[in-house]
Amino acid sequence: MKTFRRNLWRHSVAWILILFTVFPIYVVIVSSISTTGGLVTNSLFPKNVGWDNFTVLFNNPSIPFTSWIRNTLIAASVTAVVSVLIGAAAAYAFSRLRFTGRKVGIQALLLIQVFPSFLALAAIYVIMGEIYEVFPAFGLGSMGGLILVYLGGAMGINAWLLKGFIDSIPEELDQSARVDGASPMQVYWLIFFPLAAPVLAVVALLSFIGTFNEFILASVFLTDPESRTLAVGLQQFVGGQFTENWGPFAAGSLIASIPLVAIFLSVQKYIVGGLTAGSVKG
Amino acid sequence: MYRFVGFTGLPAIFLKFAVLAVIDIVGGLAISSAFAAGSYVLGGALLGALLFINWVYIFRAPTPAKFLAPGLVFLLAFVVVPIVYTVAMSGFKFQTGNVITKSDAIEQVIARGVSEDASGTAFDITLGRGADGQFEALMLSQIDGTASRATLAGVTPLAEGEYGVNEWGVPNSAAGFTPLTSDELSQLGDEILSIRFPVGDGSFVGIQFAELAVLLTQDLTYDAQRDVLVSASTGAEYVDNGDGNFVNAADPQDVLTPGWRDVNFPDNFIKLVTDKSLRDPFVQVFVWTVLFAFLSVLTTFAVGLLLAVALDQRIKGRAIYRSILILPYAIPSFMSILVWRGMFNREFGVINRVLIDLGIISENIGWFDETFTARMVVIIVNLWLGFPYMYLISSGALQAIPGELKEAAAIDGATAWQAFRQVTLPLLLQILSPLLIASFAFNFNNFNIIYLLTGGGPREAIAGERAGGTDILISYAYQTAISNPTSRDFGLASAVSMFMFVIVAGLSLWSLRRTKSLQEF
Repeated sequence: MKTFRRNLWRHSVAWILILFTVFPIYVVIVSSISTTGGLVTNSLFPKNVGWDNFTVLFNNPSIPFTSWIRNTLIAASVTAVVSVLIGAAAAYAFSRLRFTGRKVGIQALLLIQVFPSFLALAAIYVIMGEIYEVFPAFGLGSMGGLILVYLGGAMGINAWLLKGFIDSIPEELDQSARVDGASPMQVYWLIFFPLAAPVLAVVALLSFIGTFNEFILASVFLTDPESRTLAVGLQQFVGGQFTENWGPFAAGSLIASIPLVAIFLSVQKYIVGGLTAGSVKG
Repeated sequence: MYRFVGFTGLPAIFLKFAVLAVIDIVGGLAISSAFAAGSYVLGGALLGALLFINWVYIFRAPTPAKFLAPGLVFLLAFVVVPIVYTVAMSGFKFQTGNVITKSDAIEQVIARGVSEDASGTAFDITLGRGADGQFEALMLSQIDGTASRATLAGVTPLAEGEYGVNEWGVPNSAAGFTPLTSDELSQLGDEILSIRFPVGDGSFVGIQFAELAVLLTQDLTYDAQRDVLVSASTGAEYVDNGDGNFVNAADPQDVLTPGWRDVNFPDNFIKLVTDKSLRDPFVQVFVWTVLFAFLSVLTTFAVGLLLAVALDQRIKGRAIYRSILILPYAIPSFMSILVWRGMFNREFGVINRVLIDLGIISENIGWFDETFTARMVVIIVNLWLGFPYMYLISSGALQAIPGELKEAAAIDGATAWQAFRQVTLPLLLQILSPLLIASFAFNFNNFNIIYLLTGGGPREAIAGERAGGTDILISYAYQTAISNPTSRDFGLASAVSMFMFVIVAGLSLWSLRRTKSLQEF
């Protein structure tokens, strides 16, 4: 009891913030299972519990919800996998190989990384318009073009995240393989890659979540309702008519968040490690 | 000693060349179609990338190049080139009405520079092809009801009996004439608008749409040697005004459209500083951007740190607290922002409802209608989104601070608060400052929260369509460059982007210098 009293302020802080955290989540859950039709956004308790909001998502042709999910999954997984492959190779080079321009290179990468690619949005818009003239599948309005633009930022972010990790793998492993006659490429694919697989998976997950959340490029690129990603689709859907589309929107948000939250919580230890690795070295 | 075993020798080499061959074939096809379509820049860029890849993987390029090549290609194409392009665009007048090249603009000005004859002669027509496959038209004059046949060689009258008519009396058949089907017409699209049947006296019959043509005279002609357009009817000369348009030499208000994108460096930057209608919103947006980024870091860090300190002890339920408290970090942020937006809705939002039920307010508050409340909402929502991250990094940093330091402070008689203020906090700030600066830079460009939560509104607060009360630089640039199709200004938006480049790059460089993290390289 005494320890509880001494820790009372700790619990109070936690509880106040939990209320703050949970409030919108609670509202979304209540909204998604209330079936009063339109004006449900202001109810604190569910009215007429039912699944209407969920069924409408999959049966209303004006809400291509399943296409949105499919598009988002395609964009996010392709981006995650390819960008981790690109980033891991670059990070390995910066961590292990000695070459001129290495220090300048990693600093330049960091600088480029802090420029979100959409800062050059107007330029990307024009460039992708040019590409569209020749290759419609990879230009403005196409998923292929969107993924290409996402991949542009891949090397910067992932190389930076992964370099710290690679630095922590003892270099002796590489050296002994080299002594045994392995080429740098073989060391990379046969020694480093299997060792790093779990970390690469986490970085891929972070990249997946990042792409999942990306809004501005996707909204500039994908104009056709069928080709939108979840972020753009749900925004356009709920944008104008908050009150009318609120229920289905809440249901859609729940469906889309649950798998992500589940994955995130299950690997949170690694993600937290990745976040702090760069800073807490002392 | 054992030999290194792995995927080596012939199979590995074969695989490498198979992959390269596929890349080369696809790339080669892409390059040839780019050149075929007349897009030499794109074709050249692809060719360069392909040659680079082949050099790296076939001819013993330095090993680091092999690891960096794929990333470099994407980085150059979609990050570096756009950045360079942005820099270049900021030196151009590049806005709605001035987006094409000068030669395209001249072409369009000439196409528009026609005038109808005095009596406004118009024809009902049937468009088709002659025996030689060239365009022809059978026409019925709306003025005097005479029929004629127009070919690319000239217009000849048709005598009674030489033609058949359709239900409206418009000639639609004649010897050697095949009307275009509706399929052919829709395939040709706007192409028919450029058909000109010469009449002989310098005027011509121009197609307005598939069933109508008018008698036109070319009024504007281009004098390439003097780079002026001359009007035949008024004799006026239109000269290049050096700002992307041809204007009447005698009357600068008489501007021909469209214009072209023209170098005007450094006008976009000067405009930002001197044009009051641009400068005032820009300054206000800039001040709010800094304030927003600063307050966001301050509030999220304060709450995150408080939480980290509170949960620094192994209190009961800590693991569950932790899992719940990092939820905002795990939920896709675009969704949470939209949810918050709904919750703050004036009429139907749950926040107004709860506040009224609790008796705190008596009528609904229009949170997004006033700049002050809208900004408050932005900060609150960003706090919700951001404190878990700050909590995670603060608790990581707390564990990295040796316990002995605190014990030493306690032995010296410091209270827990003093120890925290004077020992823990300074160390913590030192450890976390690069991340806090990164967070500032992130929020400086945090487009999502502004665009999705308030849309930059309230709109009227600063400068109507262009800058709203909560617009930050990036949403302001977006608004300027993209969002309104009738008044896009890529040049100005690029100038604003350049400004942001400088600030964010400066911040990052400064923090790089400050931290020791790069000294280990």
